[in-house]
Amino acid sequence: MTYSLTEPQQILGQRAREFAFEFLDPILADLDRGQIFPKALIGRLAAHDFLGLMVPKQSGVPGAGFVSHIEVVQALSRSCPAIASVINNHALVAYAIAHWGCESQKNAYLPAMIKGEKLGAIAVQEEGPIPGDGPAALLAVPQGSGFILNGTKTFVRNAGVADVYLVFATIQSGLTGFVVDAGTAGLSVGPRLETMGLRACPVADLSFKNVAVSETTVVGGEDPSVAGQLLSIGAVAEAAQTVGIARAAVSHAAEYAKRRVQFRHPIARLQAIQTLLAEIVTDSHMAWLGIRHAAQLIEDGAPFEAEAAMVKLFLGRFGSKMLIDAIQIEGGMGICEVVPKHISGPLPLARMFRDIAGTTLLDAPDDFPDKVVAAAVS
Amino acid sequence: MNPEQAAVRQSAKEFVAGNIIPYAEYYDKSGDFHAYLLEATRTTGIFAMAVPTEYGGLGYCPLTQALVLEEWGYGCAAMGTTLSASILSMEAVLIAGNEDQKRRFCKPMLEAGLGAFALTEPAAGSDASAGVAIAVKSGNDYILNGPKCWITNGGVASVYVVFAATDPARGAKGLSAFIVERGLPGFIPGDREEKLGLRSSNTSFFFLKDVRVPAANLLGQEGDGMKIAMETLDIARPAIGALAVGLAQRCLDECVKHLRRRFPAKSFPGETLQFELADMQIEIEGARQAQHHTMALREAKLPFTKESAVAKTLCTAVAMNVTSRAMRLMGSHAYTSEFGKFMRDAKVMQIYEGTNQIQRLVIARSVLAPPRAAAPATTAGKK
Ligand SMILES: Cc1cc2nc3c(=O)[nH]c(=O)nc-3n(C[C@H](O)[C@H](O)[C@H](O)COP(=O)(O)OP(=O)(O)OC[C@H]3O[C@@H](n4cnc5c(N)ncnc54)[C@H](O)[C@@H]3O)c2cc1C
Repeated sequence: MTYSLTEPQQILGQRAREFAFEFLDPILADLDRGQIFPKALIGRLAAHDFLGLMVPKQSGVPGAGFVSHIEVVQALSRSCPAIASVINNHALVAYAIAHWGCESQKNAYLPAMIKGEKLGAIAVQEEGPIPGDGPAALLAVPQGSGFILNGTKTFVRNAGVADVYLVFATIQSGLTGFVVDAGTAGLSVGPRLETMGLRACPVADLSFKNVAVSETTVVGGEDPSVAGQLLSIGAVAEAAQTVGIARAAVSHAAEYAKRRVQFRHPIARLQAIQTLLAEIVTDSHMAWLGIRHAAQLIEDGAPFEAEAAMVKLFLGRFGSKMLIDAIQIEGGMGICEVVPKHISGPLPLARMFRDIAGTTLLDAPDDFPDKVVAAAVS
Repeated sequence: MNPEQAAVRQSAKEFVAGNIIPYAEYYDKSGDFHAYLLEATRTTGIFAMAVPTEYGGLGYCPLTQALVLEEWGYGCAAMGTTLSASILSMEAVLIAGNEDQKRRFCKPMLEAGLGAFALTEPAAGSDASAGVAIAVKSGNDYILNGPKCWITNGGVASVYVVFAATDPARGAKGLSAFIVERGLPGFIPGDREEKLGLRSSNTSFFFLKDVRVPAANLLGQEGDGMKIAMETLDIARPAIGALAVGLAQRCLDECVKHLRRRFPAKSFPGETLQFELADMQIEIEGARQAQHHTMALREAKLPFTKESAVAKTLCTAVAMNVTSRAMRLMGSHAYTSEFGKFMRDAKVMQIYEGTNQIQRLVIARSVLAPPRAAAPATTAGKK
């Protein structure tokens, strides 16, 4: 397997950095503070080809594929990982439709999703420990030629701003995916939740009250592995956010360490600081190799679940730690939400600390990737 | 723990449940100083818990103080920081002050007033001797000039211990400590910082512009400043440890509460999750013991500098670790609730009162100290 990028892949990554400089950096503090979803940017992201990379055939973008997708996600996350969350959620829905959807679903959704005219959101989690378990579980009951959906999905990213939801509901014992358009009768979006970070990406519950859907909305038939596969792909894409944040943070901290003088020298000369910097860079590098490897497998259609789980396991341990250490390097300056008047410098790391924590969450308290990795040990 | 301590802890628990936990979230969001707390403690006088009885305070011993601080950390580490920073400033006066100074400084604490300890400057963080604040003798006064930053209670205290150079050429040996009452002409308050964690603890910049302080406010002798600061911080560090242990325990308790709600008893998950919880408890127990051990040494008047640094580093690292692990386990539930506060608060605690790197310097110095030569029997026990 090669780890060098093709030219089109490089170009996409480069374009994402430029996009971030031009459109994200100037507004990202405001998005964070105000929990603002930057609706106007969706069209721009599409115009830069960032919304259809996970569906290479349909998007027709040179270099499109999962590897390019994570390049872009990583690059955007150096500035605004919340936007990358929006894109990741959207892209998973497109991916599912492209892989498991029927022709009419593809025609109805993919061109519009690639152009950013329709935004997607995926809804798997529920209040119960696993989907299908608990009083508020989303259940699908066959009726006529379709289904009636009742129940609640929790913590849905892009909720309220999405045009199309890929919702997993339980039929008997299996989880089945349905594409449900926003505005369908009986579907309502709960209040937007306050999040610690990734604040430009809205999060809310979705509740279904006698929502009637036709059988043509089913994605992937009764294949019970669809939700699981999407979550693992999502974990790799999310890990690219983690690494993007860590890279931004370590550059920030290294810059600071060169400028900050204590004990008559820049603190960058202290071995203790060098060790912290080296560990962050090493952890993010190791993570990135794992991500690239898993991404290539996904792009090639090879089995990837164990590799994806390793990435998730690794970053579960080292994700937040990278920001914990980056902030430590900057001392008091590191914990400021706003640059203090008595100091000059770029925006501080606090936001990244809040953001990165949101990229390593377990979907349910017992869904440790450990199981998947252990099962792959032969 | 003796019965008296148990009773103090119990009443702290009740106070925290009634007066801290219900308001912590509101103040964390706004970041405003939790001024209401000073009123709420007026009857119990807890801000004077470290004030010796001869000055009218509660005179709690170090371990008893730690028990109270752990409860406050359990409720809200920001509010606990207000309390511990106020005590910290007073300890400096108790260490180095004369009778009159002690009485004067302790008085505001008896009336739920606050103290602040002002050492740090923009150019002097870990390197406390790099400051530019100076104190120049003028008749019976000193005239103070210079900036102070990151000062806990800096915008809300009624009395301050301020460090400034009386002999800048001598660096650390030229630093002196002064009692500065709020409201003196030339004391220019600055804004509070907008922080990641401990948000409602007031952390402020201020500037001294020709502030005239009576010579009677000099603590100890000219040049004693650094020694006073270091001794004070030795005392204060395990207090931060106590807050951190409380914070970590709270986080674990809340995490368990959440998991119990999510998992019906019959389906409580497997060992990976159970061991995560067990690991958290192992860390918390260990940290608590380390911190109590430091208090016990201090009470027994034995050296505790190394142990104090160990306790601060360990307890705050445990708080950081427990809160981040719990965040991951609880997932979006934690991410969309006030649970994030625990993690944000823990991060800040690894930085103040000497960063955890500076603690390691102290610890390493002690670890690397040349082994003491086996003393001849006749002088055993002497220094
Ligand atoms: C919330 C808060 C409350 C505070 N309250 C007070 C207060 O009440 N009174 C007060 O006087 N100060 C207070 N401070 C200041 C605090 O003590 C300093 O922030 C701290 O000492 C670190 O200084 P700094 O932030 O300037 O970091 P720096 O000293 O610039 O340190 C930057 C980095 O370099 C590392 N470093 C520095 N020197 C060394 C070394 N020799 N070896 C290895 N690593 C090193 C540090 O560990 C850190 O990682 C507070 C700070 C905060 C954040």
